[in-house]
Amino acid sequence: MRKLWLVVKREYLTRVRTKGFIITTIALPLLTMGVLLLPLFIVGRQADETVKIAILDEAGGLAAVIAQSLERKLPSGKPAFQVTRTVETPGPAENEKARQELRAEVSRGELDAFLVVPKDVLAGKAATLHTRSLGEIGLAASLRRAVGNAAIARRLKDQGIRIENPGDLFRAVEVTTVKVTKEGDVEEKGQTFAVAMGMALVLYTTLLVYGLATLRSVLEEKTTRIVEVLVSSLRPFQLLAGKLLGVAAVGFTQYVIWTVSGGLLATYGAGVVAAFSPQGSPEKIHIPISLLVSSVIYYVAGYFLFASLYAAAGAMVSSDEEAQQVQMPMTLVVVLSFLFFPFIMRNPNSTTSVVLSLVPFFSPILMTMRIALQMPPFWQIALSLALMLVTTIGIVYLSAKIYRVGILMYGKRPSVVELLRWLRYT
Amino acid sequence: MLENALTFPAVDVRTALPARKPGWLHDQGIGTHMDAVVLEKVTKRFDSLTAVDGLSLSIRPGAVFGLLGPNGAGKTTTLRMIMRVLVPDEGSILVLGQPASDRTQDLIGYLPEERGLYPRMKVREVLVFLAALKGLSERESTRRVGQWLERLVLAAWAEKKIIDLSKGMQQKAQFIAAIIHTPPLLILDEPFTGLDPVNAALVKDIMLELRDQGSTIILSTHRMEQVEVMCDSICLINKGRSILAGDLRSIKQSYGKNTLRIEYSGQGDFLEQPALVESVNRFGAAVEVKLRPGADPQEILRAAVSQGARISRFELIEPPLNDIFIEKVSEVHA
Repeated sequence: MRKLWLVVKREYLTRVRTKGFIITTIALPLLTMGVLLLPLFIVGRQADETVKIAILDEAGGLAAVIAQSLERKLPSGKPAFQVTRTVETPGPAENEKARQELRAEVSRGELDAFLVVPKDVLAGKAATLHTRSLGEIGLAASLRRAVGNAAIARRLKDQGIRIENPGDLFRAVEVTTVKVTKEGDVEEKGQTFAVAMGMALVLYTTLLVYGLATLRSVLEEKTTRIVEVLVSSLRPFQLLAGKLLGVAAVGFTQYVIWTVSGGLLATYGAGVVAAFSPQGSPEKIHIPISLLVSSVIYYVAGYFLFASLYAAAGAMVSSDEEAQQVQMPMTLVVVLSFLFFPFIMRNPNSTTSVVLSLVPFFSPILMTMRIALQMPPFWQIALSLALMLVTTIGIVYLSAKIYRVGILMYGKRPSVVELLRWLRYT
Repeated sequence: MLENALTFPAVDVRTALPARKPGWLHDQGIGTHMDAVVLEKVTKRFDSLTAVDGLSLSIRPGAVFGLLGPNGAGKTTTLRMIMRVLVPDEGSILVLGQPASDRTQDLIGYLPEERGLYPRMKVREVLVFLAALKGLSERESTRRVGQWLERLVLAAWAEKKIIDLSKGMQQKAQFIAAIIHTPPLLILDEPFTGLDPVNAALVKDIMLELRDQGSTIILSTHRMEQVEVMCDSICLINKGRSILAGDLRSIKQSYGKNTLRIEYSGQGDFLEQPALVESVNRFGAAVEVKLRPGADPQEILRAAVSQGARISRFELIEPPLNDIFIEKVSEVHA
């Protein structure tokens, strides 16, 4: 036990002290925060300005209704649109002239945009928004509704129905999604998706990074030949177990730092986002403790499953080039489970989703996704963990046998037949 | 091979070995009367290859034992079984009177042929780690590592990374790792490779000190001149079997004085006497001549003088171990 502990300690300390570890651990959350905040900051500033707009009404009689419908307000209370003037033109020649003028005004910055309502708009021809910066594209939705309202009002009028206040008539009714959870109802604005995606990404990254770290650690001891000295002092299994635990502890440290900072960012970061974003109404992301705990459990279980495979792969080879080849199958399995995401997202409780998430090699990522999307029945979680445990024990047993022989073998990578023989060596 | 091919210059060395009470081996449950290592009909197979084939040998305690053999003879497999890295398929192994086990691992120090330490760790850290793996407390490990780094003139590099050390310095560090726990059984595979004469002498002196304090040393090497000056007894193995074993002096005596060492200048035609000379081994300034059974060395001397060669040395000696090695191994191959 003491020797095992020494191996764990060395593996842990030499890893967490490297610059690479410190940088990735601290920089990644900061970088993520920056990536999230920066666009909000920029877009937020832009969106705070009232858009000066002109309407060129070639159809005639629509501009007033459109202007009335553009009643959206910015978070600051200012109106989103200011219709500086409307132009109704009697014929094509004037149309062209008016367009030229408006275009010139937009170029000079006197106007932000102008809207052209074509003559045949009632027959379905599209209105066009002419603008300098594409940043105003977000406003197109409001305009679309306004033009649509005007067209409908005109059609109603043509059929003899007169409307006094089209703005009131067409005021839209929103439908918001509310996720029902144990903790109560939470308004859903895509944050569940974000949490599921984020958690799956963290698992995906850590499984791959620490799986490969185990492989490299085994390979390093082999290529530097220190393994010969080590196995003269302890049993290969102690060395393997110490390595797995040591690297696991490093991954765990990083994982905890990331999830805690991610959780803090999601919970309190919303306030930060709000401070920067005058559009306000921050999407409050809530990561339930049960999800954090289960993701840590699945990370640990998944790590031992994959890392022992990676360790065996590392023991099989003698060079980095060969290592690249043997690590492919494991890496593919991890990547594959991530590719199921869109499917699981849409059907978290379908039979296929349940079965896929029970496959031990997919469980860590898929179960975490499912828990984030909609808590699966407890028996499925228990079953997936039990299956993973059994598989992991089996894999560790086989990997240890391969490892024990492999670390002392140099030269050509073993064939599958040779590998099976290794399993029989004493 | 010439006697002085390996010279160890006298170096002033301070004794840094921790003083050990008489009977220290006994305190660890190791009897000094029994053989340090006993292999009894040990066989180890890898698939179709039989690496070690019914090998029996015993190693006297407190002596330097040479484990010799051509490449691929099974030396490393044998050593690994003694260290319990491999388990024999057949036969039994006793290390210091007990069956090879996890416990006996701590009683063995090992310097592998291919040196290896963690390249990115500091010298002191690696050595403390390896010492602790041999069962020393962290404090005791640190203390001893400090002493040994002083003794092997590495103290200035203690906080440097292994990768920054020269090859020779890395070897000295590796040697410290092998002896740090003053093992009753020390296994050294090519310990002098890459060491300059001063450092080689340092390492040799420490080996002999350990032996004098009761440690048994297994020396595995291809350098026969090292074996001649250091080993008390040897075992020569080939294809996994022992082909020559015993006390080195008696082995050489059993061959008798059948070799002439001659240093001369002038024509060497006097050696062209197939009736008297079996083979000639030329070293440039000197030759070693293996005589046919019953050949009179005087006849060769006479021929040399009559042909005008100027003789500065003419000596009848026992065959060098190098020749015995070649003869025995080629006998088996024939």
